[in-house]
Amino acid sequence: MTTKVSANAPVAVPAAHIRVRNFRSDLSAHGEPFNWALGGALAFGIVLIVGFLLLVFWNGISTFYPKPIEVIRTVDGTSVAGAVRRDEVFRLPAAQLAELPPAQQARIRADDGYVKRRLVQIGNYDLYNEDFRWVSEYQIESVSTPPGLFFIERVEWGPFVGRIKQISLDGRVVAGEALTPQILDRAHGEARDRWWRLRELERGDIGTINHHLDEERLALRRLELRFGQGDPRIAEATRPIQEQIGKLQAEYKVVADQVTAVRQADIRNTITLTDVNGREKELPLSGVTRFVAANDLGLFGKLGVYFGRWWEFLADEPREANTEGGVMPAIFGTFVMTLLMVIIVAPFGVITALYLREYAKQGRIVSIVRISVNNLAGVPSIVYGVFGLGFFAYLLGGGIDGLFYPERLPNPTFGTGGILWASLTLALLTVPVVIVATEEALAAVPRSMREGSLACGASKWQTIRNIVLPRAMPGIMTGLILAMARGAGEVAPLMLVGVVKLAPELPIDGFFPFIHLERSFMHLGFHIYDVGFQSRNSEAGKPMVFVTTMLLIGLIFIMNIGAIMIRSRLKRRFAGSQF
Amino acid sequence: MTDTAQGNGSKRARPSVAYVRPKQTPAIVRIADKTADWVISIGGLFVILAVFGIMVFLIQAVVPLFTGGDLRGTRSYTLADTVTPLVAVRIDDTNTMALELFADGKMAILHLPTGQHIDGAPLDLGGKTVTAFADTINGDHLAIGFADGTVRFGEVSISGIVIPASEAPAGLTRLSETSFTDGVSVFDAVGPNQYRRLSVSVRFGEAQAIAEGGKAIRQIDYRVSGTSERPTRGFVTVDDAGTLRYTRAETRMNLLTRRETTTVESSTLPGTGDATTVADILLTGQGDQVYVAHKSGFVYRYDTRNPQAAAVVESRDLTVGDAELTRIGFLIGEQAIVVGGSDGSVNVFSRVQTPGARTSDGYSMVLMHPLDKQPAAITGLAVSARNKMFLTSDATGAIWVRHSTSAQVLMKLKAEKAGAQFETMAVSPRVDGVLAVAADRGAQFWRFDIPHPETTFGTIFGKVWYEGFPQPEYSWQSSSGNDDFEPKLSLIPLIFGTIKATIYSLLFAVPIALMAAIFTSEFVHPRVRSVVKPAMEMMASLPSVVLGFIAALVLAPVVESFIAAVVLGFVAIPMALFVGAFLWQLLPEDAAIRFGGLPKLGLIFVVLGLGVLLAIWLAPGFERVFFAGDFQGWVNGTVGGGTAFLTLLLMPLAYVAVSMTAARTVGPALRERIRALPRTQGGVLDGLRWLAVLALSIVLALVVASLLTGGGFDPRGGVFDTYVQRNTLVVGFAMGFAVIPIIYTIAEDAMTAVQEHLRAASLACGATRWQTATRVILPTAMSGIFAAVMVGMGRAVGETMIVVMAAGNTPVLDWNLFNGLRALSANIAVELPEAVADSTLYRMLFLAALTLFVMTFVLNTVAEIIRQRFRKRAVQL
Repeated sequence: MTTKVSANAPVAVPAAHIRVRNFRSDLSAHGEPFNWALGGALAFGIVLIVGFLLLVFWNGISTFYPKPIEVIRTVDGTSVAGAVRRDEVFRLPAAQLAELPPAQQARIRADDGYVKRRLVQIGNYDLYNEDFRWVSEYQIESVSTPPGLFFIERVEWGPFVGRIKQISLDGRVVAGEALTPQILDRAHGEARDRWWRLRELERGDIGTINHHLDEERLALRRLELRFGQGDPRIAEATRPIQEQIGKLQAEYKVVADQVTAVRQADIRNTITLTDVNGREKELPLSGVTRFVAANDLGLFGKLGVYFGRWWEFLADEPREANTEGGVMPAIFGTFVMTLLMVIIVAPFGVITALYLREYAKQGRIVSIVRISVNNLAGVPSIVYGVFGLGFFAYLLGGGIDGLFYPERLPNPTFGTGGILWASLTLALLTVPVVIVATEEALAAVPRSMREGSLACGASKWQTIRNIVLPRAMPGIMTGLILAMARGAGEVAPLMLVGVVKLAPELPIDGFFPFIHLERSFMHLGFHIYDVGFQSRNSEAGKPMVFVTTMLLIGLIFIMNIGAIMIRSRLKRRFAGSQF
Repeated sequence: MTDTAQGNGSKRARPSVAYVRPKQTPAIVRIADKTADWVISIGGLFVILAVFGIMVFLIQAVVPLFTGGDLRGTRSYTLADTVTPLVAVRIDDTNTMALELFADGKMAILHLPTGQHIDGAPLDLGGKTVTAFADTINGDHLAIGFADGTVRFGEVSISGIVIPASEAPAGLTRLSETSFTDGVSVFDAVGPNQYRRLSVSVRFGEAQAIAEGGKAIRQIDYRVSGTSERPTRGFVTVDDAGTLRYTRAETRMNLLTRRETTTVESSTLPGTGDATTVADILLTGQGDQVYVAHKSGFVYRYDTRNPQAAAVVESRDLTVGDAELTRIGFLIGEQAIVVGGSDGSVNVFSRVQTPGARTSDGYSMVLMHPLDKQPAAITGLAVSARNKMFLTSDATGAIWVRHSTSAQVLMKLKAEKAGAQFETMAVSPRVDGVLAVAADRGAQFWRFDIPHPETTFGTIFGKVWYEGFPQPEYSWQSSSGNDDFEPKLSLIPLIFGTIKATIYSLLFAVPIALMAAIFTSEFVHPRVRSVVKPAMEMMASLPSVVLGFIAALVLAPVVESFIAAVVLGFVAIPMALFVGAFLWQLLPEDAAIRFGGLPKLGLIFVVLGLGVLLAIWLAPGFERVFFAGDFQGWVNGTVGGGTAFLTLLLMPLAYVAVSMTAARTVGPALRERIRALPRTQGGVLDGLRWLAVLALSIVLALVVASLLTGGGFDPRGGVFDTYVQRNTLVVGFAMGFAVIPIIYTIAEDAMTAVQEHLRAASLACGATRWQTATRVILPTAMSGIFAAVMVGMGRAVGETMIVVMAAGNTPVLDWNLFNGLRALSANIAVELPEAVADSTLYRMLFLAALTLFVMTFVLNTVAEIIRQRFRKRAVQL
């Protein structure tokens, strides 16, 4: 009844009152301003990302390219020589502005008090006690790039900017026209050979002897611990050890003599440099790592320097508080730690996912566990670091030390941060990622395939091994690679469980047992933090940090892209075999 | 065929078929299957347990912070002399030897593990009667007053060194299994062929006559300050006649002649005018304050910075009602005074600079920590030389071990012998034992272990009144170069820092991430989406150390020098986009549709860039108008007024108010007009409407702001205050960078997951894409979006490297956007590598980690539950 009335109702309304709805949508329906705000947000995000990547990559790539050395004459008559690092606009404080001559004041005021200045890497830290200087535009009288200036990289004190006055080879002085690039190159090459020889002797030979000496001393201590101090059996047991120590000490003397000989030869070859204001500095020729005739090099010369520096960066050890030299130990440390982490996390993550998905009874408890595992992926990494320090390093490591390394106590062996504990901590940190990815992959394998396999008489394990796991492999691999990418980029937990700013020994070397899991190590991410924040001069380390950053980001992006590619490739391989 | 073969199979011994598959599972398969069962089940359970073990481990590391102490053992002794009154006892830091000093000037050494006395008493003070005794808090220096009005000063120490067995003297007497004595020192076997030799050394100077007429010294206090080359000794005495005397002796050594000269300055202090006897006197280490405590409970404070003109600056009754003051003493640091009364009350007072103090030096004694009352009168007080612990004994024979700052009773020790009243006590230097001597010279020694006396739930999460602070505060300061520094361990500033960083970074990140997600999901071509989305996801995996480095070393200086442009950017960029949108509306309909895809997105990029350029270009003018030409001076409050900036802050509110009013009044009519017009003209009208609303809202905001500032309100102080380079704004940017990709990805997934048929239905009904997005997609995906924000918040809470590097790490409690902060995570990363295992700081940092764990766990669980509900709902639709 009611329906009828309501159905008739429109008819009763007089025609004049019927509003014909306009079907044109009006402007507000499109929400154009809001639409633009949304688009602006996306654009802003993209600009941020692209800008960030450009900043890092441009700085990273351009760092090693030799820059010309500019000689800047300032209005007060002194000269500043160096490579210009960057320009900047800053605001001159009112007090400083008031002290300037009126003409300059007027010019600066016209720019709203902003002044352009350039950061010049003047080097010569041993002469000036600073290696960077800001030169404001109003102080500059003239700028030139005269030939003959060198940017000289040194083992100590950072770079030297200036000219070469002379070299002295065994007392024979070569200077002026006689000092051709060929002579310099040859002399420098010989000096560097000596330097490498010295390092080989000190690190290699003496290092080996010291290592064996240490082992013998530990053996002595072990005997003492076993028999108790003053026991007559010790004297008997230590005789071969003492003999060995004597032999090693004799060997040490021989090598030490060689070192002295090389060093004396080295000291007789020196180079004398002069800075732009004529101050002289003499140093051993072997202390120079590279001469860059910055203003005289052609394109190929510059490229040679560029790639030479890259090689040094990738293959050498850091020096000067990590702000110069290379990052090879950090690359190696990052690599070994990530590898160890994957070796640990892969089986455990996959087994757990298999258990949750294939073995455990699906119910409330499993779903709670699943939520918890999901949540653990969101627990801050620093919390894992705290756990790693307290549980792995202090509790487990302390226990291992007490049981197996009593002779080294109170110096901890495993009872402090080390690469094993760091890998375990990161494994714990990334295991939720692997579990979640593997579970998803397992869930994606159709039930029909499992049932088919079981119906054919295969056992559960056979089904999992031959049917389920291969199909789930893309997902598992993706999870693992993502875990690696996350692990390689984490720094905070590592600061607690074993990363150091400078590790003298690599975790893998030529001494038995070759892999030293208890050692602390260097890490690219921590290197960035350390050089950028802990070093004497963060400006000097900045280019280094940018290059390291680029390397780390590159590494992580390659892993991520690898994950995506493996996923798509394996997917294609199994695409046809799905029922 | 098969049937026949099978049917015959039972008859024939061998089947004619070449091969019949054995129906039995091979053993190896079965074994492999069983092994896999076990390995996977055990391994899976192990990993799950390990993961949960983290929480258990953190909790077990934190629990000792909240527990009291353990009693390790107790033992009773009889002292060497049961007739002569005892003056003082002292024990060494290994709890092996106790030194007894009696009123007849004799000393005795008690070997605590065996209870035997060691013969050779090291000193005899010449038979004079000791009437007063004082020592410095560390116990090294002592002063003794005698009945004949003289005073002697001395040094006493019990020192232990480890010596090889060969150096031990021959003919040792055996005390116990491992202890020996030569009559002077104790030798403990501590290792194979090693002894620890403990020996007492006492040195006393010559007697000095102090009181006139040989009146007995009743009370004395003694302090040594200055360096060991230039010591300053100060002491105060009260003699039988009640005369107060303050003496300072300064010893200087001439570096050339190596001759020591001592200048002594003595003065009589004016009397207190209190008829009751003096209970005790106290002197501060610098010698600038003297406290005279009378039995009446009144404590008189003298200012002795100028000893000649010393006078009482303050007097106050420190006990309640008629109760007598029985014991008084300084705690380490000499800022706080413990007062024990005959009613069993124990309270800690401190001299605090108070603005309204009615004293001449602006300080007054205030009750800092009211402590639990003991059942009977306080009879003894002993103060630790290492921390703020002290022990009070009462007339019932109980000893309470207390801590001043945490105001808690850590342990209650009970006398073995009923009715023993302990009067003299000695705390071991490591605060792990106490020797108490009763009036009848019966002594009892307790060994205990109180690892974390300074922490309670209240000190960690509540306000604590530390010495030297004018009032209770939340404070985190874990270490200092100073020796008698008290660590201040309140987690509140750190939790606040974490919350501050999270809120400011989310204020920046959430709008951008959500808006970008809506745009990607609803307004761009799938091909654009397939490029943009993975790029954003990749950003999520950027190491935070990189972001922190860029934020601190690149962004922070840039933001500092272009702060006006940055502030203006928050206005200029949205404005530029709005202007762009209204200009776009002027396009004819077909052009708007044809260029609505990529060209429009490109144009948005251009407009965004124009907005940035505009901000930089206008920044100097903006700074001049709004911040009096000097932003940093302006936020400090030194230059300029607040009206202009307040107008800017009120703009969004005013805009909403004006546009809502407009929509109610002229809105419908205007809409009809716009609808009737062709698009271009409608666009013009709409743009004019917007400009009008904008102008009106500026006027409104200006009026309200003028009224507010006229009423004394200033936007500065609070959220906008003094500028420092590493500030929350920079952290917000950098952290936003870390959080945007996460929120973006999850929110975008949630919106894309909304069923396609909903979208299609809405569009088919004639809704525009904008209407579909806001009225259909957003409500449906709301729970997913909420979950995205929660996950983003979880990440921001736990982010470590960015805050370590860019936040300045100052534990302050203010909302100032331009000030730094110290977050929980950064604090752990900075302090844990230096913390000693199992120390209080170590456990506090574990508590910080646990707090972070719980915070993120709650956030993520809520997000997960919401997401699951969303999934269920999405399936139903």
